[in-house]
Amino acid sequence: MFSRQSKQIFPAWVRYALLPALALSMFSVATAADYPQPGDLAKGSMLWAENCGRCHQVRNPQDLRDDQWITTAFPMSIRAGLTGGETRDILTFLQASNAVIPTAAVTVTSVTVATDAPVQSGKEIYTQTCVACHGADGKGALPGAPDFALASGPLAKSDDALTQSILYGYQSPGSPMPMPAKGGNPSLDESGVAAVLKYLRDTFSH
Amino acid sequence: MTKTSKKLRLGFLALAAGLLLPGIVLADAEYDALQAQVRDLAAQLEAVQRTLAQIEQKQEEIPGTQETAIAALKQDIADASEWRTPNSLIHLAGYTDVGYINPENGDGSFAVGSFSPIFHFQYRDIVMLESELEIELSPDGETELTLEYLAIDYFLNDYVTVVAGSFLSPIGQFRQNLHPSWINKLASAPPGFGHDGAAPTSDLGLQLRGAFPLGEMRSNYSVYVSNGPELNAVFEDDEFELEGIAAEAFGADADGEKVVGGRFAILPMAGLEIGVSAVTGKATVTGLEDEDTGEVTEIEGAIARDYDVVGADFSWMWKNLNVRGEYVRSKVGEALTGTTASEGATWKSWYTQAAWRIPATKIEAVVRYTDFDSPHSSEDQQQWALGLNYLITNSFIVKGTYELNDGIAGSRADNDRLMLQLAYGF
Ligand code: HEC
Ligand code: HEC
Repeated sequence: MFSRQSKQIFPAWVRYALLPALALSMFSVATAADYPQPGDLAKGSMLWAENCGRCHQVRNPQDLRDDQWITTAFPMSIRAGLTGGETRDILTFLQASNAVIPTAAVTVTSVTVATDAPVQSGKEIYTQTCVACHGADGKGALPGAPDFALASGPLAKSDDALTQSILYGYQSPGSPMPMPAKGGNPSLDESGVAAVLKYLRDTFSH
Repeated sequence: MTKTSKKLRLGFLALAAGLLLPGIVLADAEYDALQAQVRDLAAQLEAVQRTLAQIEQKQEEIPGTQETAIAALKQDIADASEWRTPNSLIHLAGYTDVGYINPENGDGSFAVGSFSPIFHFQYRDIVMLESELEIELSPDGETELTLEYLAIDYFLNDYVTVVAGSFLSPIGQFRQNLHPSWINKLASAPPGFGHDGAAPTSDLGLQLRGAFPLGEMRSNYSVYVSNGPELNAVFEDDEFELEGIAAEAFGADADGEKVVGGRFAILPMAGLEIGVSAVTGKATVTGLEDEDTGEVTEIEGAIARDYDVVGADFSWMWKNLNVRGEYVRSKVGEALTGTTASEGATWKSWYTQAAWRIPATKIEAVVRYTDFDSPHSSEDQQQWALGLNYLITNSFIVKGTYELNDGIAGSRADNDRLMLQLAYGF
């Protein structure tokens, strides 16, 4: 009995207390490569959508790990005729968008919509983070992105379900391209998601 | 003492003894039990102390406090990130395809296309080695290994990369951008854009390439100097004739004549690229092809001829539609003297291709028209190629292609073909 317990090195409370620390350090691991310098995420998603499907099917950001995207982005920048700055922007977007998307729906029991006004309007968020893939008309700018204007499209779902998709990412079965968590923009918070979702409904639903 | 008191005392004693004796016997039994209990307890205490000592010892061996535990975890994480983000990165990519080909007047056959591993070795954002091998199975069962390209890319700054070594020809689009089977939307190359056609395939030399903004537009460029191609001649009807241009990277420059070339492209708006290419220099006949067997013997003493290539290409992506086209012309000048003296010759080809992904499905329909003009009329070919593809993933594709070929009646160029292909890019 003693010997079994002593195998678990730390008491349970220590392990739970360590989780946030661990998560934080994991984050610094994910961005630990000190090269190339980080680029502009919003420009990156736009450049990616505009350029990376010119010669072949757009590759899913989840196809490769952060370091593999480095060894792919550099030769691709030579092929595609991108400047170093554009390459860094695209790489920043790809490395931010390749996190695993939970397949079993994460249940967000209560979505607390912050009452204080979001820093950015829904429209600003949409044109910065979402337009690259969803298009200005909401009909989808690349294969796999849904048509928001369709009555049977994603906007038929509940606010809770859509908030969850935007916050944690979403992939329908067999889809060629997933929706990255927060559209790949880690600084998007819940109030921003609420604002952009309201913008989607106001602009694209009938 | 009186007699009565003596008696009394005796009586007392007897009474006391009578009362105590059983008590003493009783006390003895209890004492034994207690002793046994104490012994048991002592043994148990010893066991507990031993275990405690063991636990203490173990806790000394492992970091017991929260701080040391965090420190240990941090070290583990640092070790893990060491592994993930070193200065040197290694990545293996590539593609492969297998298929079935059924020509109009011949038997169908399963075939493996090629296994093409691509090696990427990178040191920070400074330098990269890029190399692709092509491993193919010949019809007679032999394995052929070709070095597709082997180049060192030196990322000089944001606008210039130096590419040194052997590289895919930067002329036009097909060779450098579309030939991998998971990218090419049809199972075959457009006539004139494969090996030995109108378009150069690879070069060995030094290339500068990069991109820069042009006002609101974007642009990209490539300029290079290379060993250039070699020529083959054939002796036919009592005279020499140019047979073909071997526009591949040659390990040594047999004729000592270099060529210079390049491509410049603009992207006036998102999704649209328009490019022009040119190569100029000299090329020399170094091989004589046997008319019947096709075998090439080396020859010397031919004089250098003019060699010029021009090309133009465009590609346009709009929603689910991708339209592209390309023209290339390779011209070899005449040689009036020397061995293999002969007229000049011109190879040219153009194609246009449209591919449409049916919205919200994995199905893609493709149509391509090509017109290839060779100095040998038996190679001239007009081709409609129709394709229907199923994209299982973005780089794992089932392709069905039907080629309607039109050439000189009875020639290979006139033979229609059905091709099924499974292509996987990794
Ligand atoms: C000008 C044509 C062209 C454009 C534009 C292009 N690619 Fe590629 N891509 C290729 C070719 C050709 C290959 C095949 C591999 C090779 O020959 O290096 C390839 C291979 C790949 C691969 C698989 C091999 C590997 O290295 O991992 C990935 C992933 C990829 N491209 C991603 C991208 C991304 C991301 C972009 C946008 C920055 C992009 N491509 C833009 C031509 C292009
Ligand atoms: C990298 C491209 C990309 C970006 C950037 C992006 N999306 Fe998406 N989004 C997708 C794709 C692809 C899908 C469809 C996924 C599927 O069906 O598997 C999708 C689906 C969705 C859905 C439907 C989800 C559901 O449950 O059906 C919503 C809502 C959505 N996106 C909102 C947004 C918002 C808001 C943003 C900006 C904050 C954004 N997207 C940014 C690619 C993107």
